[in-house]
Amino acid sequence: MTSRMLGIGFLTPAIISVAIFFLLPVLLTVVFAFTNMSTSTGIMGGDYQINSEQLRSVSEIGISEESVELLENAGFQITEAGLTALAEQFGDETAEELREDYLGETFTARRDLERVLRNLDEPIRQTRDRKTAADLFAVTIIGERFDTESQFRAALEKTGVDPVDHDTLTEFAYTGWTWTTDNFSLLLELPSTLRFAANSAFYVVCTLTFNIVFGLFLALSTFYLPSKTANTFRAIWFLPRILPPVLYVLMWNWFTWDNGFIATVTGWFGVPPQNWMMQTTTRAWTVVILINGFVGASLGMILFSSAIKAIPTSMLYASEVDGANRWQQVRYIILPQMRWPILFMTSYQTLSLLTSFEYILLATDGGPGRSTEVWALAAYHTALNNYGGNLQYGLGSAYALVLVFIGIALSALYLRFFNFKELLAKPRIEQ
Amino acid sequence: MANLTRTTALIGALAGLATTAMAEDVTITVWAGGSNDSDSYRIEAIEIAADILEREAAIMGDELNITVEGRRDFTGWDEFKQGITLGAEAGTAPSIVVTSHLDIAPWSQAGYIVPVEDYVDLDSWPLNNIYPNLMEIASYAGTQWGIPQDAESRPFFFWRETLEAIGYSEDQIDALPDMVASGEYTLQNVLEDATKAVEMGVVEEGYGFYPRVSNGPDYAQFYQSFGGVLMDPDTGKLVLDKTAMTEFYQFFVDAVAAGVTRQNHIGTDWNQWYTEVANGRAAFWHGGTWHFGRYATEGNDDFWGTIQFSLIPAGNDAGRANTITHPLVYLVMDQEDDRVEEIAAQLIAIASEPRLNSLHAIQSNHLAVAQAQSDIDLYRGDRWASEATEVLLASATSQPNHLQYGAFSEAMFRGLEAAWSGVQTPEEAVAEVEAQMRATLGDDLIVR
Repeated sequence: MTSRMLGIGFLTPAIISVAIFFLLPVLLTVVFAFTNMSTSTGIMGGDYQINSEQLRSVSEIGISEESVELLENAGFQITEAGLTALAEQFGDETAEELREDYLGETFTARRDLERVLRNLDEPIRQTRDRKTAADLFAVTIIGERFDTESQFRAALEKTGVDPVDHDTLTEFAYTGWTWTTDNFSLLLELPSTLRFAANSAFYVVCTLTFNIVFGLFLALSTFYLPSKTANTFRAIWFLPRILPPVLYVLMWNWFTWDNGFIATVTGWFGVPPQNWMMQTTTRAWTVVILINGFVGASLGMILFSSAIKAIPTSMLYASEVDGANRWQQVRYIILPQMRWPILFMTSYQTLSLLTSFEYILLATDGGPGRSTEVWALAAYHTALNNYGGNLQYGLGSAYALVLVFIGIALSALYLRFFNFKELLAKPRIEQ
Repeated sequence: MANLTRTTALIGALAGLATTAMAEDVTITVWAGGSNDSDSYRIEAIEIAADILEREAAIMGDELNITVEGRRDFTGWDEFKQGITLGAEAGTAPSIVVTSHLDIAPWSQAGYIVPVEDYVDLDSWPLNNIYPNLMEIASYAGTQWGIPQDAESRPFFFWRETLEAIGYSEDQIDALPDMVASGEYTLQNVLEDATKAVEMGVVEEGYGFYPRVSNGPDYAQFYQSFGGVLMDPDTGKLVLDKTAMTEFYQFFVDAVAAGVTRQNHIGTDWNQWYTEVANGRAAFWHGGTWHFGRYATEGNDDFWGTIQFSLIPAGNDAGRANTITHPLVYLVMDQEDDRVEEIAAQLIAIASEPRLNSLHAIQSNHLAVAQAQSDIDLYRGDRWASEATEVLLASATSQPNHLQYGAFSEAMFRGLEAAWSGVQTPEEAVAEVEAQMRATLGDDLIVR
């Protein structure tokens, strides 16, 4: 019993981390993806308001003409009830003066009424007081913000709008987000969807191939070097991974810019200066794949190197006695024993490449002309980057959710394809 | 004597107690987006205003202590806007923000900001002196949400020496702004002259016409040059004019084909771009009024002798020469404590004093927000401020405050990028933009 408790105790930090850093984000992505959440709806919920811009389209939601007219013309009315309240708060004289000159009148904007209150013989002198006083006469709900539904309905009641329209108007007035599946139908409808998907597939396949092949090449080639030299080379090839991405990509920029390294060197041979990253789509892809490829290959190199070292050297010596050359050693001894690390790298890298976009963001930002815009970058651009300020959290999450599903499906596929169970079987030697 | 001293001491102590009891400490945080060193008065004007408001309170017998905490060290607009919106959700938003007027629509809808008109009298000084069209830009849906912090405009620039080299006389160059304004000199002429400059070897290939390197209000100007309209005034809906959009894209495609603009121009480093245009590497380009100061720091001390400026030329008969002003605005953010909102709004009003705003306008090469600023020596004495106001501001329009304008502008720019970089033809790009806009904007869009 105690040992079981101890086990759970040891697992707790891991469980908590998984819950906070994996399950919660996935859960939130699922939730967000089924909402119309954006900057303008806010995240934490909404209030109730109809402003004059919304009023323009209110007739399109099936509200009667009379209701629309009532909403439009309610304004600020000088009524006896309002005057009584005014007299209580700001004195009889002010109220009396207003009654004499303006009883029964309607002001469309609060500002017009404020001007009147300011120019009375017994004016309301403080700005804030004038606002408060003007609000005593408010009949309109246009531009007013109500915290709760009941407050909004109560105000709607006062405007005299037909109660039949109340429910529709209340729903229309809600400023917060609502549940919807529109994001997914929108994704199906958008012409860019297919292109982003194709870009992602191309990016993952090419980068992954580069990662594995180049990682293997580095591991094998450094394996046959003297250990000191090998370690130096590995350290150099490991640089892309340990450098901060911003710095690493900045170096690539220097390397490929119009006045960068390649342009300067090729300039000596009469090639006109040009941007070796952004000039054409092919170049952009080449650079994007290389940037990510080197980062991934360095990890592959480390993993594959240690895997090769784990192969009993006696096997290699034996093969040499049998007259095998280096290529035959690689082909018949090393590679067959690398199934597990290659599987691991392939599955790990597929999943991480699918969701990785930071290097592309820093290098091409999806350009030229959105030709290197991968799915994950599109999700970022939609949810967190917009010049006009209205960020589409819901739609961005829908993009991300698609990735989550693809990731899960791929993981399942990999597990089956590479026969994970067998790989994880207990070693027979200990039985 | 001793008695008197004692009495004084007593009164002093009582007064001390009284003031301590009445003292009010308020912390006002100001975040300014897109601001560098020369924009420091976006925050400092609030600090000066705080001093004035404290003195006003002291005269009324209140002790008001305002601490102003400013922040403008954001890496870009993205970080700034994310910080604001997430802060607003978490209840830790700053009291005052200086941001694009385009944020008013989404932020007011979300309840992140409160109307400045709830706290200040728009009919009194200095707010009644601010240009009405700028006040309009800082309002949305009939509510005055913010107060314009500065004005600017986005002119077209010509490098005088290059024009002379391709055969323009000095008088002709001086007459260019008027010719542009009247529609005699169009973007087609720009293309012809830029081609000439490249062919004659006056500028390098790709440097004939050297546009802005990232998305921004500037590109909507070219849409307008070809007759495009951003918003239908009657219905308040956004407008996609397919002909104008196609011709606008086609102009950039033609510029690439003629070798005057680089196909991979978008994404060029801003610092590189500034250095190049400030020192005559490009024949034609476009930018903003605040570039005047930047060119000087890039080593061009003789703006008037080297550069001519005008409106963005018309593209064809359907369009017109135009420029867009994209004022930043002071907004008050929703706070737990209503009193903080009130003080923030009052500070904004005081900071809009012509004299205080002129400090910002001149230091950062922006244009005035209030009419009285042209009577202030500091402003009137500045040649750039007064000439730019004269040539540009009269024809300046703005982008609409509309909830969906961000999506509209984003789609428009992506289409431009696709056509410009040769990934799609202008027609294909416009077709995709139309599909994209119809899907994302729905009823908020009119397609012509």
